[in-house]
Amino acid sequence: MKPIPLMIWKEFKHIRSDSFTIKLMVFPVILQVLIMGYALTNEVKNTTIAVMDLSKTPQSRSLIESISHNYLFNYRKEAGSFQEIRSRLDQGDIRMAMIIPQDFTTKLLHRNGADIQVLVDGQDANSSGVASGYINAIISRWQTAFLKKEMEKKGMTLQTLIPLQVDPLILFNPLLKSTWFMVPALVVLLITIVTSLLSGLSIVKEKEAGTLEQLMVTPLKPVHVIFGKTIPYFLVGFIELCFFLLFAILWFKIPFRGNLLTFFLFGVIYMLSSLGIGILTSTIAKTPQQVLLLIWFILMCFILLSGFFIPVENMPLWVQKVTIVNPVRWFMFAVREIFLKGSGIGFLWKEAIYMTITGIIVFGASILFFHRRAG
Amino acid sequence: MYKRISAIVIKEFHHISRDWQTLIIVLIMPVIMMFLYGYALTMDLRDVPVIIVDPSPSTESQKLSSSINATELFAVTGSIRSADNPVELFKRYHAKAIIRLSPDFAADLRNGGSGAPVQVLIDGSDPNIGTILKNTMEPLLMDIVMNILDMQPPIVINVQSHILYNPQQKSALYFVPGLMAVILLMISAILTSLALTREKELGTLEQLLVSPLVPGEIIIGKLIPYMFLSALDGALILIVGKMAFGIEVAGDMISLATTSFVYIFTSLAMGLLISTIAATQQQAMMMVLPATMLPTIILSGFIFPLTSLPVFLQVISSVIPATYYLKIIRGIVLKGVGISVLWQPAVILLAMGLFLVTVSIKKFKVKI
Repeated sequence: MKPIPLMIWKEFKHIRSDSFTIKLMVFPVILQVLIMGYALTNEVKNTTIAVMDLSKTPQSRSLIESISHNYLFNYRKEAGSFQEIRSRLDQGDIRMAMIIPQDFTTKLLHRNGADIQVLVDGQDANSSGVASGYINAIISRWQTAFLKKEMEKKGMTLQTLIPLQVDPLILFNPLLKSTWFMVPALVVLLITIVTSLLSGLSIVKEKEAGTLEQLMVTPLKPVHVIFGKTIPYFLVGFIELCFFLLFAILWFKIPFRGNLLTFFLFGVIYMLSSLGIGILTSTIAKTPQQVLLLIWFILMCFILLSGFFIPVENMPLWVQKVTIVNPVRWFMFAVREIFLKGSGIGFLWKEAIYMTITGIIVFGASILFFHRRAG
Repeated sequence: MYKRISAIVIKEFHHISRDWQTLIIVLIMPVIMMFLYGYALTMDLRDVPVIIVDPSPSTESQKLSSSINATELFAVTGSIRSADNPVELFKRYHAKAIIRLSPDFAADLRNGGSGAPVQVLIDGSDPNIGTILKNTMEPLLMDIVMNILDMQPPIVINVQSHILYNPQQKSALYFVPGLMAVILLMISAILTSLALTREKELGTLEQLLVSPLVPGEIIIGKLIPYMFLSALDGALILIVGKMAFGIEVAGDMISLATTSFVYIFTSLAMGLLISTIAATQQQAMMMVLPATMLPTIILSGFIFPLTSLPVFLQVISSVIPATYYLKIIRGIVLKGVGISVLWQPAVILLAMGLFLVTVSIKKFKVKI
């Protein structure tokens, strides 16, 4: 037999003999797809809010109702004092508070309008910003309705005041569902974790067991060992990729608008990098503990800097430049574009090139390092 | 008993100090991560690319375009005469929004009537950005147009927002304490999960077992050195957070230190349980990474607000230690509240840790 198929055959035997690892490759992954598919939501919902109404007029009541009836807010018991509001914010019972002043109704039709105070727990800049946006939108809607009524009393129509008719239209994900954005990303995350961990362990395992020396005295070249070790995990990864794709489409009902061939092409190119990262770590590290720490570190960096939940465009320019070497970023972007926009290779060739280069460098480096060790 | 435990502690410290590479990884990694994430994890949207489709450019439409560009949120990356297929524009230029003006925009604007029609196309693939764009676009356009036409918008209500706890809305202030929760848990769990399995694989566990040590002593002796190491990491994170990001602890340090020790204890106990279950280091690794990394990042409230989760996931998140520690550390660091408000999550953490250690000792005994 040729050396590479021989190594592959050997590695498969290893995998088969360790039934616990096989179980670990399958069950936690399924569980994670299920749970995370529902958990990954960057929507801001059920924001807790309390109101202190000092005005107690029909107008203030109707404004409060428009908030308490809104599904985006979780309306809590009305507050009686400033102290109460502050302590409830401190305890985390509410994340927002609105204070309607005594002169609210009388000032509504004044030149300068009525003042409303909104207190926001601003720890998380994102969710507090979004929630404030919701509140402002609700208040402005209420205001328009109020104005319309007042103008009708005077026999005018509201339109004369508004010079613009804005018609928003949302494309690709018209209902703004989080799952549509996050489940494709989840496919990327899980394939990254599985492939890099498995290949990461493959070589260091033999180091600890002392069998790596035995491999070295055989006529096998480093290239043979590296490829023989990765190809089985490449197959495992490919099967899981198909599985994740089916799961996303059939279970989570994510529209797949792109081309299957493009998707798998990207998958194959990507696994070159993700397996390569594992193999490289495995050749550098001395113990499994080091592999685990290193892979955890690399994955954390790659995942958090991939645009998975924080758009890369938000990050400072130097961080954006650093992420060019991050294959997770390109694969994440490509998979989402393929899923939701149906983009083809014509729009995504740049991402493919970046990923290929990273893959080749990582693989080349692991063969080189292995050489040095072996030599 | 103390003597025997301290013997194990000393033995474990020798293991740690001999493996200096791991030690360096453990101490340097969190610092690098803090730097990178402290800068990178920012949710503030800036310069969202917008394309304007303007069939007949006029002074008004030009003013509109430059006013949009002048906002911090948007950057006009292109202005074109016609768009037959806007979907293509989204794919090619990675624009997040396209504003389509009518051919008679300037005239419609002045004529009044039903107002000049403007279509705003939004890329909704990222629902978060999509929502923000949807909420801000209309009032923004209205404001700009009112300005161009020198009109006074009617004022009925002024909303005065006060932002508490993080008034400058710095993302780092929110994420750095969160990172402490993630890093402490991962380091602690990884370190201990391999501590026992390594001895199993090397066959030295049997030697420990035939010694006069009882299982409880072995396990406690194994925990103490790692507790020390993790606490060192925690202190390092706080120092870097203060020096690089100017994060001052608003609350008192004693509450922070005690609760952090409780959290480290619970995290170590998680790793310990895994190491009593797993037979090999590979198995321990396959368990510890998936069991700790994604749940801690995703289900704890580290990034995604817990209130947005479906109910059954909120139940799951209530058994994740990081959920409680995040409440504690954000409470102390950002809100400046003390143990009197936060005793509940602290007690739950402690109970979790004690439960996990008891189960580990039981499991360990069964093996013998």
